[in-house]
Amino acid sequence: MNRARTALLTAAGTLLLLAAMEAAGRLGVLGESWPPLSQVVAALGDPVTRDLLGRALAATATAAGTGFAAGALAALAVAVTGVLLPVLKAGLDRLAAVVHAVPLIALGPLLITTVGREGTPSVIAALAAGFAVFVAATSGLGAASEAHRDVFRALGASRRSTLVRLQLPAAVPLLLDGLALAAPAAVLGAVVGDWFGAPRGLGVLLVSSMQNFQTELMWSAALSAAAISLLAYAALAGLRTAAARRFA
Amino acid sequence: MATTGISESPPAAPAPPAPAALELRGVTKEFSLRRSRTVTALESVDLTVGHGEFVALLGPSGCGKSTVLRMVAGLEEPTYGEVLVEGGAPAHLVRRHRLGIAFQEHALLPWASAYDNIALPFRVAGRPVDAARVTELLELVGLEGFADARPRQLSGGMRQRVAIARALVLDPEVLLLDEPFGALDAVTRRRMNFELARIWADQRITTLLVTHDVDEAVLLADRVVVLTGRPGTVRHVEEITLPRPRDRALARNAEFHDIVDRLTALLDEGAE
Repeated sequence: MNRARTALLTAAGTLLLLAAMEAAGRLGVLGESWPPLSQVVAALGDPVTRDLLGRALAATATAAGTGFAAGALAALAVAVTGVLLPVLKAGLDRLAAVVHAVPLIALGPLLITTVGREGTPSVIAALAAGFAVFVAATSGLGAASEAHRDVFRALGASRRSTLVRLQLPAAVPLLLDGLALAAPAAVLGAVVGDWFGAPRGLGVLLVSSMQNFQTELMWSAALSAAAISLLAYAALAGLRTAAARRFA
Repeated sequence: MATTGISESPPAAPAPPAPAALELRGVTKEFSLRRSRTVTALESVDLTVGHGEFVALLGPSGCGKSTVLRMVAGLEEPTYGEVLVEGGAPAHLVRRHRLGIAFQEHALLPWASAYDNIALPFRVAGRPVDAARVTELLELVGLEGFADARPRQLSGGMRQRVAIARALVLDPEVLLLDEPFGALDAVTRRRMNFELARIWADQRITTLLVTHDVDEAVLLADRVVVLTGRPGTVRHVEEITLPRPRDRALARNAEFHDIVDRLTALLDEGAE
């Protein structure tokens, strides 16, 4: 009953939003750069446009996916290092904060000269996703209760054994929360990374269609980026709900 | 069995040949609060527990009795005095995985089955899990059919049984129980007391039980040490000579009630 109601409200909200977009476009209240939604969808009927968008989408999704995986693994490795070598913990926390504080845009020129134009989107995606995962992993690894820690200490558990048998399993729900937040960040990072001269990608398409006043194309690129963000988020959030029952 | 700790015993005084299982000598414990203020939890506590002896530390909440147990487990350090386990520092016993412990919060791993929770000490010690031993423990605590159940699927009493089985699985030299039945209802608690009496009679492990339940202390222990006041000090030591096995017939034993009444009165005075 309750779940059905939630689903109904979600569907109603989505419909309302889409209808508002359509209406705003038809009435032209937000100017010429806001086309009706139906017109954006209709533009996808053209095979050339569809092909163009498809390739851009594939490029961005690949960059976001590799960046997400690499960023998440690196962040987890850094968080685990902080647990195994407590002397490094404070330093690693600060390093992560400093890296995160540097605007991603400012790293562009540096990345172009180091990893090249093609690699830049995935690296920026990795940096964007990595911080969210790092924060989640750090708090997740500290989430085990005091009583559990006492039991492990009294059992004479090594730091590694405590990590593997207590801290990592206890971190799973928070870690999946972090991953769910990191996925949209990775997509955004990949799109931003496209702007530094990547050969193709949604970011490239956004900029070129904007400059050429191809409003429908620009919107379809923007909506595609939003769609993959939402899909990745929904998938990981679902996984988290399933895991919460198992691990908490 | 416990010869490794001897080198640790201090050369002071004509030391007895075999060290006691547990020994607290003039132990004072202070906790620091904010702004360099300290609170004294325990004041010059002396306590000796012999091999195979069951000692209950009885006292009201806040008398520092759990602190005694935590120091024996190596989870806290005494501020003054010393804590010896088998003649050595508690850390020695812990490092050899020879200490069993159970708390009021069962502290079972929620993602692991009853079987895996009981097998945990093997894994932590880096030893292959002895499946027969784990099954034996499941039987000992009366949970044969629940090997695959997760803690969430078990009742409060069953969870504590799993926690006690986990504490016993490596056949520890010292068993520490910190209010293991404190979160249970009165009826379940009493049933668990008799279960523990049965299990203990079977194993005869050196045991230190911390409790505020007078009946529980008298029912289980060879000796009850009454701790009162803030800071906590040893107020009285009562030898319990009631015959074993102790079962429900104890409820009709006049001596049992006599001891319980006397100790309850002591706690009552101490509360003023």
